[in-house]
Amino acid sequence: MAKSYKDLREFLATLEAEGQLIRIKEEVSPEPDIGAAGRACANLEEKPAVLFEKVKGYKYSVVTNVHGSWANHALMLGMPKNSSIKEQFFELNRRWDKFPVPPVILPREQAKCKENTITENINLFDILPLYRINDQDGGFFISKASVVTGDPEEPENLDKLNVGTYRIQVKDVDRIGIQALPFHDIAIQLRKAEKVNEPLPIAIALGNSPLVTFMASTPVAYNQNEYEFVGALQDGVPTEIVKADTAEHLYVPAHAEVVLEGYVIPRVRTCEGPFGEFPGSYSGARLQCEIKITHITHRDNPIFENLYLGLPWTEIDYLMALNTSVPIYKQLKATIPEVQAVNAMYTHGIGEIISVKSRYGGFAKSAAFRLLCTPHGTAYAKIIILVDEFVDPFNLEQVMWALTTRVKPTKDVSIIQNCAGMPLDPSSYPAGMHDKLIIDATTPVPPEPNPRAVELLKPSPATPKWEAIIRNFMNQQAK
Amino acid sequence: MRCPRCDEENVRVMTKSPVGDAWEVYVCDTCQYSWRSTEEIHVHDVFKLKAADIPKLQQIPPVPPLKTK
Repeated sequence: MAKSYKDLREFLATLEAEGQLIRIKEEVSPEPDIGAAGRACANLEEKPAVLFEKVKGYKYSVVTNVHGSWANHALMLGMPKNSSIKEQFFELNRRWDKFPVPPVILPREQAKCKENTITENINLFDILPLYRINDQDGGFFISKASVVTGDPEEPENLDKLNVGTYRIQVKDVDRIGIQALPFHDIAIQLRKAEKVNEPLPIAIALGNSPLVTFMASTPVAYNQNEYEFVGALQDGVPTEIVKADTAEHLYVPAHAEVVLEGYVIPRVRTCEGPFGEFPGSYSGARLQCEIKITHITHRDNPIFENLYLGLPWTEIDYLMALNTSVPIYKQLKATIPEVQAVNAMYTHGIGEIISVKSRYGGFAKSAAFRLLCTPHGTAYAKIIILVDEFVDPFNLEQVMWALTTRVKPTKDVSIIQNCAGMPLDPSSYPAGMHDKLIIDATTPVPPEPNPRAVELLKPSPATPKWEAIIRNFMNQQAK
Repeated sequence: MRCPRCDEENVRVMTKSPVGDAWEVYVCDTCQYSWRSTEEIHVHDVFKLKAADIPKLQQIPPVPPLKTK
């Protein structure tokens, strides 16, 4: 059974023991220090998490870049920190099939997120060391929350309980803005509430066990419960949740650092943004929803976990890399078993690489068409590269080899015009419309002619043995 | 005090630092821009807003029609 974590603190302890977390004990300024450190982590080779123990003017600490490296990502899965991306992808695939693993519902007194309760004079700044992430952001943003809402028409249906990550702008001491794009699950629930002019109850959990945060940012079906996936990805170990205090039908991670409870104010939109977004550019000001916070619970000495977004790659790219790739792989594999792996890690799946074994000429391209029919791929996927089954799609040197030695542009490059696109992609125009580019970098198979077939270089059978020897040697040296 | 984004004089103190007298946070009640007294604020021209243009911004998600009984 792989190691899993009950809460953020257990994970931070492991990161620190593995040399993947550093503590800044000296006092820092909210701006520009915390955002700048998030950017700096992304620039460095080691990419550790950074815990700021003292932030000027605030009571509590902040941690950033918790998911922001492949080493941290592997440790989240309880794997050795030098596990390859491909190994992590296949381990996630294996655990994915354990869904559903129902969560354990704890009584209130056993849930650490309930150690302190605030019901009056709510001021988010008393609990959270809020800061501007990028300098042109329109305010202080919460970028890594797990937002819990229910279906207003079926509140008791836990399959329709939604746990998602949406950007949140602090508008006042007890009011926040939230971005609910129409294709997000929360927008379905909000629409049902707003049609009858009812507030939508909401609970926002901050500082969670790493796989809760991971699943909150994973695109799954509307009627799939994210907590049941957390148990699956914890290799069968159920996650612990507890009932929210202000809504009978909402459940939050039992050991979250902070839980904000309240409601979305119906039929109100106010100015939100700009915000530095995952494509590496700002998305402008829009009229978006507002939430009133009426109730806060938090652990003793809560840690505020937040993430930096910037020109890729930054923490968000690691957080939504394999959790975008795995569901798409599952969907493709179900109808095209020849698909070997899918890398949907580039700008949340705008760029994707599919490794596929061609059964007959033109076969590989059908995997691209299938991708463009998946819920996520329809809007997001724009540049699709097809490689042979022996090419590791997570190894960009190999992918470039395939592109440089397998592609004849006049026959292998296809453009499909005027399709759906991702509105946050600044090259999409009008926002939400785009063309699709398919590059077939697989080796031609009959009936497609391959007039210059070649014999590939094959590695010696002793290579894996030597990989293990060299890796062990390097690990010894690192100690 | 004027808002550095929309230039309206509709700014108030949102909160003060919970520890010490380290800073204040201001918010504009016209465009909801907020900033801390310790920041050097320079809103790029492309992000400046006029109060009259705010109601014309794109609404996300659109408010649905009310259900009639």
